Parts: sequence; C-alpha cells; structure tokens
Amino acid sequence: MRKLFALLSLLVVASMALTACGGATPAAGEPVVVKETVIVEVPGATATEAPAAEGPKVLNLNFGPGDVPTLDPAIAEDTSSIQVIEEAFIGLTHIDEETSATVPGMATDWSSEVNADGNEVVTFHMRTDVPWVRWNGQEVETVKTCDGSADRMVTAGDFAYGIERNLNPTNASPYAYVWGFVLKGAADYNNGVTDDFSTVGVEVVDDATIKLTFLAPASFNTQIAGMWIGRPQPQWVIDGDCEGAIEARGERWTEPGFFQSYGPFTMSEWIHDSSLTLVKNPFWPGTDEIPVPKIDVVNFAMLDEAVAFSDYEAGNLDAVGVPGTDLDRVKADPVLSLELVVAPIMCTYYYGFNTQAPIVSDARVRRALSMAIDRQSLIDNVLKGGQEPAQWFSRPGLAGSPTMADYPDLGVKYDAEAAKAELQAYLDETGQTAESLDLTLMFNTSSGHQRIAEAIQQMWKDVLGVNVKLVNQEWAVYLATIKGADTPQIFRLGWCLDYPDANNFIRENFDANGSSNPYTDGKPSGGAFYNNPDFFAGLAAAAAESDPVKRVQMYADLETTLVYTDAVIAPIYWYSRNTVTKPYVVRTFGVGGQEALEKWDILPH
Amino acid sequence: MGRFIVRRLLYMIVVILVVSFITFGLMHAIPGGPFSREKALPAETIRILNERYHLDELLWKQYVSYVYAVLIPHVTTTPPTTSLQDDFMVNAQIGSVWFRWMNFGPSFKSRSRTVNDIFRDNLPISAQLGTMALIIAIVIGLPLGILAALKQNTVWDYLGMGLAIFGVSVPVIVLGPIFVWVFGVALKWFPPVGWGAQPPYILGFLPSNIGWDFFKYAIMPSIALGLGSSAVIARLTRATLLQTVREDYIRTARAKGLPERAIIVRHALKNSMIPVVTILGPLFAALVTGTFVTELMFGIPGMGKYFVTSITNRDYPVIMGTILLYAVFLVVANLLVDITYAFLDPRIRYD
Repeated sequence: MRKLFALLSLLVVASMALTACGGATPAAGEPVVVKETVIVEVPGATATEAPAAEGPKVLNLNFGPGDVPTLDPAIAEDTSSIQVIEEAFIGLTHIDEETSATVPGMATDWSSEVNADGNEVVTFHMRTDVPWVRWNGQEVETVKTCDGSADRMVTAGDFAYGIERNLNPTNASPYAYVWGFVLKGAADYNNGVTDDFSTVGVEVVDDATIKLTFLAPASFNTQIAGMWIGRPQPQWVIDGDCEGAIEARGERWTEPGFFQSYGPFTMSEWIHDSSLTLVKNPFWPGTDEIPVPKIDVVNFAMLDEAVAFSDYEAGNLDAVGVPGTDLDRVKADPVLSLELVVAPIMCTYYYGFNTQAPIVSDARVRRALSMAIDRQSLIDNVLKGGQEPAQWFSRPGLAGSPTMADYPDLGVKYDAEAAKAELQAYLDETGQTAESLDLTLMFNTSSGHQRIAEAIQQMWKDVLGVNVKLVNQEWAVYLATIKGADTPQIFRLGWCLDYPDANNFIRENFDANGSSNPYTDGKPSGGAFYNNPDFFAGLAAAAAESDPVKRVQMYADLETTLVYTDAVIAPIYWYSRNTVTKPYVVRTFGVGGQEALEKWDILPH
Repeated sequence: MGRFIVRRLLYMIVVILVVSFITFGLMHAIPGGPFSREKALPAETIRILNERYHLDELLWKQYVSYVYAVLIPHVTTTPPTTSLQDDFMVNAQIGSVWFRWMNFGPSFKSRSRTVNDIFRDNLPISAQLGTMALIIAIVIGLPLGILAALKQNTVWDYLGMGLAIFGVSVPVIVLGPIFVWVFGVALKWFPPVGWGAQPPYILGFLPSNIGWDFFKYAIMPSIALGLGSSAVIARLTRATLLQTVREDYIRTARAKGLPERAIIVRHALKNSMIPVVTILGPLFAALVTGTFVTELMFGIPGMGKYFVTSITNRDYPVIMGTILLYAVFLVVANLLVDITYAFLDPRIRYD
C-alpha cells in the first residue's frame, strides 16, 4: 500500500510542479507569431537581433471551424475562401468594402459601348506593373518567365484564362452561373452546349486590354466583372510550362509551395484545418483604392465562434465575432463594450410561402402572417444583435435597393389590426376558424432558427389565433425538401450578396427559376411556386435601367409586389454582425462578408 | 496464439466489409447529396461532378470500385502522381514495380485534399490527444478504484467514488469551457485553445517538439477528456476488486501468510483487471480516432469533427473513411484486449 500512496503523492507533487511552471510562463498572453516550419538558418538574419520595438506587424484573426475549402478562384463558394482570394487576386474592377461602390481594380479605367446586337461591350484598360509572386519559404519573391530573364506580369491573357477555367464545365464551378446570366455565350459554354471558348464574349486585345461582351447593358455588369469568378490563375502552375520544367499541379495548385498570386497579400502557410497565414506582398504597387498593406502578417485561426471568443479574451486574437450567447455580457462589460461594433452586413432573413399550398395560396393569409410578425420585438427580445427589421427583401445598401430614409413606409410592417382584418376576410369567405387552419413552418435544424421560429409561432398565436406547427430538418435534407414538390407552406431562408446590386437579391431568387423559385419545364416546381409574368418582366426592365433614381423606384414597386401585394415572402430582418476588435487595431468593416485587410493597421501597444 | 491472431485478422476483413456495406447503403439512403446548395448548381455542373466522382454509376458498381480502391493492393509500374484521384496511403516501390494500397478518394468539400490527406494531417493530433487522455484516465482511475475497494466504506472510498461520480456526470461540454475560462482566460496558465504539434510527425504521429510548447496545449484537453473515462475505470476497478478479494484463493493466500501487498498486487489486482482491460479496448478506439466535442471546445484540429461534418456535407468519401478508420481501430483494439486476457488469466487459451 505504501507504494500506492507514494504514487499518489508523486502525482500531487507533479501537478503542483506543473502549476508552478504554468504560472511562470508568460507565453500564454502573447500573440503567436508566424509558425513557420521551413526554417533555413541564415546567420545574422534572425529576428532575435532586431530591437523588439519595430518587429513585423502581425494580425491574428479567425475563420470559423473547419478547413478553408479552397483558394482557387474558379471553384470558391464560401466566405473564408473568398476572403483569401480577395487579398491574393485583385479583379478587373473592385468593390469598395464599405460603400459597395465599383472602383478601379486591376483595370485603371474602362469604357462601354452598345453594339449592333444590343450587347454591351466593355473595354478594360489594365495596369501592367503587377508581377506574379510566390512565398519561397522565407520571403515573397516574384515569379520568373521560363528563361528566368524577367518577371511574369499579370496580363489580360491571365484574366481570360481565369474566366475560361471558371466557365469550363469540367471544373464544375458553383458560381459560374453568375457569368451565365450576363456574359455573352457564357451559359452555353458552361453548360457544355459548345466547347469553343471563342464563342464567349471574352477578347484579349493585347496584354493590357481585355474586352468583355455582356448580353445587355446593365449597371451591375462591371460589378460582376470584378467578382472572384473572374480572377486570373497561374496557368503555368496548373497546366505546367517551360517544356515540362514546371510540373502541372492541377487542382493541387493552391497548396502551400505551389500557390502563386499577385494581390496585396499572398499565402505563405496553410496548415490544413488549423491555420492559414497571409504575408504582405512587397511587389504590390498600391493604388488609391487598394493600398500597400501596413500589416506584414495575417494569421487566420480556424476556431468555433465561442472558442475564438475565449482566445480573444485571452489576448491571442485581435478581432472576432461575438457569439450570440455572450452578447449581453459583452454589452455590460466595461472593457469589451468599448471594443464592440455592430455593423450591417448585406444579408436578409426571411420566411417564404409556398404560394400554391393549401391556405397560404391565398395572398390575404400570407399578408396576415407577415404583418403579424413583430420584427422589432423579435430583435429586442430574441436576437439581441442589433439587426434591423426588414420591410422588404433587397437589403438597403445594395445598388438599386430602396433605403429606409427615402422609403420609410415601403413594404410590410408589423400591424396587428390589419393582419387580423386580412385573415378574417379569408376566414369569412371560406367559412373556417383561425384555430382550424392547418399550417406548418419548416426550418433547417439549428437552435438559432428554432428560437426565432418559436417566437414567431407565439406571435401568430397571439395576434391571429392560428396554431402553426414547427418542423425542422437537417440542412441537406431541408434543401431537397424546399426545392421540390413537397415544399411546406412556410419555409425559412436567408440570402447574402454575391455582388452588391438589388438584381442579385430579388431577381436571382424570385424570377422564374430563381434560387427560391425553381422551375421545371417552364412551370414552378418548388420553393415559392411563384408565377407572375408582370413581376418577372419588371425584374428584367429594372436590371436594364440606366437611370439610378428611376431604377430605385422600379425596385421599390417590385418589392411592394413581392412582400405585400403578392406576399410571396415575409421578410424578417436585415443582418448585422457583432465584432470585438482590440483597441490597437485600425480597421474597416466590410459589408459583404469580406474584409479589406490592406487597409488595416496595428498601432504600437 | 498465432493461429488465433490470423483467424481474427481474417474476421476483421469480414467486419470491415460489413461495416462499409452498411455505411455505404445508409449514406446514400439519406436525402440530399454532396452538391445540393441553397443556390442550386446548374444541371450540367452537377452532371459533370457526378461523372467525375462516379456518382452517376449504379450503386453496387460504386461500392465495388470503392472496396477495390481501398482494400485491394494495386500493383503497377506507374509512379504516384499528385492527382487527387491517385492518392494511396501505402506506396512501396520494389524495383520498377509499385505496390500501392488504400486509396480513400478525394474529399468533395475540401477540393484540393484527399481523405488520406485528412488522415495524415488530422489523425496524428487526435491520436496524441486520445493517448494522453487514456493515460490520464488510467493513472487517475486505477489508483482511485483500488483505494476505494481496499478502504471500502471509509472516507477514502466516499471521496474516490464521489470524484468518480463527478467525472461521469460533468461532461466535457461543461468541463471544457470551464477549463478554458478559468485556466486559459482568467489565470492564463495555459493557452485557451489550439494544439502544439504540427506536421511533420515522428513515425507519422508523434509530435516532434515534446516539451512545454507541446504540453501547455495538451494538458487541459487531455484532462478534460480523460476525467470522464477515469471515473468509469475507477468504478469498475472498485467493483471487480471488491468481488475478487472475497474469493477463496485470496483467503488461501492470506492463510498461507503471504504479505498483504503480494496478495493484492499479484493475486487480487491481476484477476480484477479483465473487465477493466475489456473496456480499455473500445475506449482506446473512441479516444484515439477523434473526439468531436473536446476538439471543438479546445480548438484542436483533430479528426473528431470529420465524423460529424462529413455527414452534414454529404462528403461520401470522408464519411466512409472516418467510419472505416474507427472500425479498424475498434477491431484491432479488441484483438489486443483478447491477447491481453491470455496474460492476465493463464486459464484462457485460444488454440
């Protein structure tokens, strides 16, 4: 027995020793600097010799749990992938992250003309001073041509290659369809109708000039030209070059060691599932809109939101999102409340109606359900995250979208009396009672959606006296349900921008065969089951309108049809996001889900 | 014994085939597919993706080609390429011939990685965490159980079993955030999240930097993960040891005048270990192949989340890969358990 006690006491002593050890180590509070594994010893060049005051500026951020799916602009579809792409590859045009204005990117200017076929031909004039770069394990270096004599510069041909690769059906790009809407010949090439890329409206005039032919004039054509789906990719890495001296990497070209880019930052390290590191590209010339970065290194962790928030509080991360459950505490905390910023983000949360399902096939019922939702109360008591009550679908801040300042009474609002009257009219006509209505609301399984649905279920009960059943399904099952004939009467969805124009919201969702209104053989086959030819014609007309003031009015009228007259959806709230940022970080807040890290800075602290 | 092991290994192949068959059937039976998106992909894009990953073929054909790619060793003269479709776990070159085995296929979600990449990058981390948690579980659980049994109905017993009940009833999902908050954020003894080891690993799974840089990340999650299991071990040890010390042969040993220590260690303890060793097998498999909650709570890039996210993503090759990985670990661990029986109890013979 004595042996056992000896063992136990040894354990106690050992744990004390560990404790003491932990207390004495300062490392926990310090930001983790670049975790570079490839270290080549260069005498005298190590960071330890430099005075501590002027070290590299390192920013530590978080991406959310799970690996970044890809860094390939041709196949990216999620916010983390696109965040890296936005820093590593600059588009022809560039979207200002705060104002959503279309500004020069790799193209310094562009001119537009309408040809005899009614197509809009846009000629982009590009910068010629941007070289391709790569991280060589120690520093960023330029990529040389085959004979090694010169830097490879970004050319119009690289853009054409990037667009081709995005549209090429063998790459199965999830976002190529956006080109299909606007670029001449893109849909046919992407759908395999033709394999001749010269039929697509992309023409390389010379190294510094590229012409894109769009199907019709539209203000968002140049926005789409700047999206991540139209970024150059290093053909020589993907397909191989220099008579085999550069090995073809295919889909693996985005892996560390192979990756090449040209934007203000490039990727230096990617430990899958753990972290991704961007380093400043010293060869990026810097423009008025996309300056030379002030920060040298950006580390992205891949942590769950709640875990990342703990790491922020421990001082290891510099800016993170605030988990909903921590919001009340953050607002009450004297330090954290000063670091909290609530910023808008271009997304809309809504309930859609299956307009051909029993009961909700009557627009009065849909209007009643929509007007019975007290959105402000939902935000104040359930969401608590500074969201805005949504009166219509296309979030204000998008080009073409009405704003609350100009249209305070547009769309749909909480109005208990009007809601009751609408429902009563329906009940009287059909001889039913409110309690007898058999209604189902379906959403994808998530505690957040559950809480919102329960609150709205109670509002419907209190205001209208209807009992709505709640059903939830796992996400992929749910998607299959709401895109097919079994779409429930009421379903939950949200939408975030791809490019900042109302067209991306209202038309790409609710046009015939839009994302929430799928068609098969020319007939509604899922989602909203919505068919209103006047509305569809209005969407096309608004897209083509060149006068911005008139255009906003056209969208305002379309929104009235969508959320009030036809009440196809009940818009619920416009998103905001809650972030905390350390006081020494100078930053901007991107409204589209990505940050312009080249504008950020870190003050001495 | 040798024949027994060979027989069990052959059974293992049958078990793996059955598990893979059931998993394959179930995952194709649930609605939704890997390419269902909120913004639906064009039909042509889906057709091409299905063609590329052979999802357009008949299900039995897909299953047969999967089993062929994973289980059957390939003998070829073409060297390995970097293609995502051509990533084998085992690549051995003998002369000009390549023996290549276990191609689990590409991940549908991470489009520049394969399932083998996920195993290579993430499994070592889960294995490191799981092994340490298991060691902690044994080091805490075993002495606690022995102490409780030998000092039955004393304060030691109540203290030990109280601790065990605490360990079982406070899950990692509660303990993890408390640890992170108290020791990571408030006291700053340990980094609250993350993992201290990175590829490349020694022998494919051991961290190359064993030291404070490694353990400062590992201590909190290992304890949080190991505590629950230590409670199970403690209670089981106590129960079986209490039973054993009442056996006739213990009385005989006492009557012979053997010292108490020899009676407990050599006779009672050894004979009480069979139930404990039995649960160590499945416990080892469960801890080492990845633990979803612990890894999430402490931000550890292990295998755990792939067991869950692969299903939500309908990432078929990753679903199959993770399930088969777990199955192999479980079967092998149980085999080791059976072999250990023979050492613990000489009456057990397998041939």
